[in-house]
Amino acid sequence: MAGKIVFAALSVLYPVLVYCGLTYWGLSPRRLSILLLALAFYQFLNFTRSKQNDGSKAKNGALVVLMLLCGSVAFFADNLLFLKFYPVLVNLSLLLFFGVTLWKKPSFVFRMANLGDKTIKDSPSRNYVEKYCDKVTLGWCIFFIFNASVAAATVFVGSDRLWSLYNGLISYILIGLFFAVEFVVRKVMQSKLNSYVPVSELERDSRPDGAKFCFDDSSTTTWKDFVTDVSKVRIFLESKENIPWIVHCDDVYFFLVALVATLQSGRKALVTANRQDAFIKEIQKENCGFITDEPFAPGGATLIQDLLKQETDEIRFGKFDLSKAEMVVYTSGTTGKPKAVFKMFSQLENEVQQQAKVFGDEWMTREIYSTVNHHHMFGLPFAVIFPLAAGIPFRRRRFDFPSELTNITDKKAVIVSSPAFLKRLVVDLDRPLVFKTTPFFLSAGGVLPEDVAQKTHDLTQSWTHEIYGSSETGIIAHRVSGTGAAWTPFEFCKLSLAENGCLNIKSPAVLEPEGFTSGDLVEFSDDGRFVLQGRADSIVKIEEKRISLPEVEMRLKFTGLVHDVRVVPMVSKRQFLAAAIVLNEAGREKFAGCAKLKINEFFRNFLCQYLENTVTPKKWRYLEELPQDLMGKIKMRDIQDLFSLPESPNFKILKMQREVSAFTAKLVFPATSDYYDGHFPEFKLLPAVAQVNMVLLLARTFLNAPKEIVKINRTKFTNPIFPDVPAVLKINYDDEKGKLTFSFTDESGEKALSSGSIVMKLSNMSSRTSDSNMSSRTSDSNMSSRTSDSNMSSRT
Amino acid sequence: MSEMNNKIKELLIKSLELEDITPADIIDDAPIFGVNEKGEGLGLDSIDALELGIAIKDAFGVSFAVQNEETKKHFASVSALAAYVSANQK
Repeated sequence: MAGKIVFAALSVLYPVLVYCGLTYWGLSPRRLSILLLALAFYQFLNFTRSKQNDGSKAKNGALVVLMLLCGSVAFFADNLLFLKFYPVLVNLSLLLFFGVTLWKKPSFVFRMANLGDKTIKDSPSRNYVEKYCDKVTLGWCIFFIFNASVAAATVFVGSDRLWSLYNGLISYILIGLFFAVEFVVRKVMQSKLNSYVPVSELERDSRPDGAKFCFDDSSTTTWKDFVTDVSKVRIFLESKENIPWIVHCDDVYFFLVALVATLQSGRKALVTANRQDAFIKEIQKENCGFITDEPFAPGGATLIQDLLKQETDEIRFGKFDLSKAEMVVYTSGTTGKPKAVFKMFSQLENEVQQQAKVFGDEWMTREIYSTVNHHHMFGLPFAVIFPLAAGIPFRRRRFDFPSELTNITDKKAVIVSSPAFLKRLVVDLDRPLVFKTTPFFLSAGGVLPEDVAQKTHDLTQSWTHEIYGSSETGIIAHRVSGTGAAWTPFEFCKLSLAENGCLNIKSPAVLEPEGFTSGDLVEFSDDGRFVLQGRADSIVKIEEKRISLPEVEMRLKFTGLVHDVRVVPMVSKRQFLAAAIVLNEAGREKFAGCAKLKINEFFRNFLCQYLENTVTPKKWRYLEELPQDLMGKIKMRDIQDLFSLPESPNFKILKMQREVSAFTAKLVFPATSDYYDGHFPEFKLLPAVAQVNMVLLLARTFLNAPKEIVKINRTKFTNPIFPDVPAVLKINYDDEKGKLTFSFTDESGEKALSSGSIVMKLSNMSSRTSDSNMSSRTSDSNMSSRTSDSNMSSRT
Repeated sequence: MSEMNNKIKELLIKSLELEDITPADIIDDAPIFGVNEKGEGLGLDSIDALELGIAIKDAFGVSFAVQNEETKKHFASVSALAAYVSANQK
């Protein structure tokens, strides 16, 4: 240790010592060279003793050799020039030392930073910090090149005095200046960098009062507003008994205020996107409160706007105990009850931390916009929790319409989106969206079709980042569209194959120590990435013959005539497959004017080349679009129900969408339809009774409406429905009250054709009453539904 | 003869819940099971065969022996089936 200090002191004072020795003490270069040789000898001792790796050793070795060489020449030739080379050598060796770490990362400055602050390694801003440190390292290298050059110049050109002055003083001052400038720059960078604070550790002073928290088109909300509003809601919640609270707010800011207040006050949060009276009542059977921003919410709901109107000076805002913070997140559900997924908030916290690590860098300087519902497990972490923890401003209202994006082309945006929205985006936009800064599109909730990804890129110049995950596990993997089908796992996930070939996920966002096994079949490649191979329950048995549904779908696509297709298992007297097909342009052209039977036969004969006829589809539907829900999910149950309605020559379903208690379909009634019989043969109009029958048929099939009706109220037939002109039918059905409302409009939805309401007879039996030929869903476990709420990114 | 053909066709459609097809669409001499080289035929499978056998027994009182080459001939086409049923009906 003492040796090192003496060595350092001699090194630093070397120029001064040499100058003084020459000028004042009358020493010859030969005598003075002993100093250099002593330094070289000390280095040599260090070198032989060191256990460092080869690269570093070679470098030190080179330095020792050069020092010895200069020292020896100075000694034997009594030459001053070589004596003065030492500072150049020091600079060169430092250049080498810093420079090497730029090749062999981490860079020297980042290593130092990590020694000083152990949290950097795992912090979400790690990448950001590392990049900065790399730049500083590079800066030092440039500085050493400069310094070595000047030092060399003073050796050859300047006087001894100048040499000593520069190397003994000025170069040290320059080093000091460099440190000072870098320190100031770093502080400025840090102040720009929003610090990431886990949600459970947020305090009122975690951010400056005036920090922009969120915004809408006309106003900005600050951190101080947020802290004050959370306090108000907390004061209210804590004045009540400790019960769980249902949280539903369409406004993301109100939602966040309610959620954080609930968590900080130690209440359990029940997060639901569905706020239908019947559903809320179902949850409220357990004693719990309901906080919302919707003025017309069912009785007993607490309106958050009312709470925020209260005046108070008290601030209640601070850390909460992660081990006690519990949540329930309700999935979108199929047609029945949405599924409740229990969550510890720590799962979300861990998930968001991981997101920040991967995307933080890119997002830190942007603003967040969302098109997805923030009550679900994709929107919640990405569009709500992440901005809160990272201090990134977000837009309070989500975008519902693709055209709204044209208003933010001058913003640096992260757009949290879904395949459903992007599909509409590429259809709706007639010209490219030119963003000033390339936007960062995220998509989850289903697989983004390749053509949509491509068109999104053509329109916005940006490739969409896709996220694969589920309500139960949070995020699992990600990929960038246009770079192939393989998914890259998030670092914090340990993925493996379960016995059934499905993906098993262990991660800090999964509670079960044994991990969560999904229903997705996967294949891993050597680099740890994987491709999805369809759902495990996509392999079914049809009359004892195993068949993979994706295989049949793929074969159908091989005809080159099919845009999209789903094959589903059905049961009536026997088990069979049925195919719902959307033809592409070539297909529409080929089959224009063809009888449906001929189209069926074409596909059947094509499949017969590859498949046994037991597993070729027996029933066929040709649609304009596959049935999908608001989230863009194509559900097997919807398609099965489509087939449970026997094909009729009287009407065709071209499109359909089913929600919890609403159903929309685009229908067409051909001129050959029996419905026109007996009504104006020369001028065919769809009779009112046929319209009402249609409504009832669809309500029974898709919304479980009962068979009998009590009465028909207020029915208006404003405009006629003509043969072969598509009409859109919307049905809402409240199964508690038995009240059904419907409306027929033209294709654009603007022109009303007819509307009315019907009261259905509620039987005591809540089970479905349906015709025998409609009850074609199966109880066979082999044929269970392929729909899964847990599957955020369904089959590729 | 053609009356029996029509009856068989209607029975086929009803008992097997065939969609998109009317008796007029079914070719008398085309195969019931699978398809011929011209791509004609109903493309039915062995499960349908059992179902159809039961339906014919119920409707006409004509039953079939255990599946063998002979039975397969009877099921070759609507005409063949109609001939067999007519011949065996009591």
